[in-house]
Amino acid sequence: MKHITEDLLRAVGVSLIVLSFTVAGAVAQKSDHPALAPPVTSPAEKAAIQAFENQVKDYVKLHNQVREQAPKLSKDATPEQIQTYRTTLEGSLRNARKGAKRGDLFTPDIASFIRRTLKNEFQGKDRKDLRDIAFETELQGVVLRVNYPYAASAELSEMPATLLAKLPQLPKEVRYRFVGRNLLLVDRESNVILDFMPDALP
Amino acid sequence: MRKFLSSKLLLVALVVASLCTAAPAQKLNGSTPKNDSATSPVKLALPLKDGSLRFAVIGDTGSGSSKQSDVGNMMVQYRAAFPFEFVLMMGDNLYGGETPQDFEKKFAEPYRKLLSDKVKFYATLGNHDQPLQVNYENFNMNGKEYYRFKKGNVAFYSLNSNYMDKKQVAWLESELAKDTSEWKVCFFHHPPYSSAKKHGSDGQLREVVEPIFVKYGVDVVLTGHDHVYERIKPQKGIYYFVSGAGGQLRTGDVKESSPLIEKSYDQDMHFMLFEVAGDQMYFQAISRTGETIDSGVITRRKK
Repeated sequence: MKHITEDLLRAVGVSLIVLSFTVAGAVAQKSDHPALAPPVTSPAEKAAIQAFENQVKDYVKLHNQVREQAPKLSKDATPEQIQTYRTTLEGSLRNARKGAKRGDLFTPDIASFIRRTLKNEFQGKDRKDLRDIAFETELQGVVLRVNYPYAASAELSEMPATLLAKLPQLPKEVRYRFVGRNLLLVDRESNVILDFMPDALP
Repeated sequence: MRKFLSSKLLLVALVVASLCTAAPAQKLNGSTPKNDSATSPVKLALPLKDGSLRFAVIGDTGSGSSKQSDVGNMMVQYRAAFPFEFVLMMGDNLYGGETPQDFEKKFAEPYRKLLSDKVKFYATLGNHDQPLQVNYENFNMNGKEYYRFKKGNVAFYSLNSNYMDKKQVAWLESELAKDTSEWKVCFFHHPPYSSAKKHGSDGQLREVVEPIFVKYGVDVVLTGHDHVYERIKPQKGIYYFVSGAGGQLRTGDVKESSPLIEKSYDQDMHFMLFEVAGDQMYFQAISRTGETIDSGVITRRKK
């Protein structure tokens, strides 16, 4: 009887420990940061966001197929290996996306939502920091053409964290980027411009 | 009654004054040259304690200019007296192009001696850095745009302030929440606090990261972006440094009237040295020509 009680207590103790770790882990994963709260969206906007995210997912599938055929890039690569990888990936992606044009990903529906979000985020005196950051990067040698690379020598704008939280979420292979007043969607590794919205910033 | 009130007020003032001066970095008394040569520019202001952790900090380096190499050479001279184990890079590691020649001219060449002496560099990405730098063998980023590593009793977090998305914020919170290291140091490119005219404080980044730093007891934050040196007055118990003149310089860019400044320097390029021994973190900022531009010690807060 004593053994049974001890075993039972031990089992309960272990369960409690496991449970506490699980709860702690779950809490740690969830960020309740007020500055990162998602935007309030209408059903139509929700549908537009979903459609956009699906299209981006389709692009990522293509990216991964192309990537499979590029030379592998290790985590401790030489500059030559990095250059070879980037140029191969860029060429293959451009080839695979022949005929891609502006508005393929930033369709009118999602563009409208993004413009509204940017307008909301950028208005008000307390948003001066945001405007300063977004307007900081000039066009400096960046040719805005879909399926062409963003110049490697050009500066990259900082994407404000509070704004990133409000825009549709992207997978790690794709990035938003501001250049002047334009919002770009670029492939992270190859720098190929996937689409852009001219004069997106209010 | 008035006398009683006056002495009470004086007492309160003294207590407030002592609270304000207890925690901040204190100046180290005197500098101790550890180099035998009478002509050596090395004037070390660090204690060189047994078993301490020693590292250097450089930021905004990748210009490939002769002055960047001067800073690299001065680091070598100081390393003879203060054998630091690794270097933290604050971003903008390569300006204006990333061909193999750029990697050579703007990184490998200026720090060749340190690299050959097996000094490890840990980089973070600046606004002039392409994401694939994370795969470069000598930046030790292990293919990641944000990462953590630990040395002795110090945990280092390299963050990508170019793109602080929800995933990165969640990762940072999750890692810090379980981190039991005595010291927590975060480094990234854009400064949450800065008195420079060109960029200045990055308020929107601060809005997101500062509450996390405070909540999880980050001790020190190292940044670059503004091409000056600045030690910020402690903010919410955290020590912030701007070290963005390792290869670029904006002379006269510091807004001298800024209330944030504890110490600043915008007349030449610089690098920094750090020494961590138990609850003390000693630091020294050194100009391109070897002059000490700032030094002190930070005592770890009880958490």
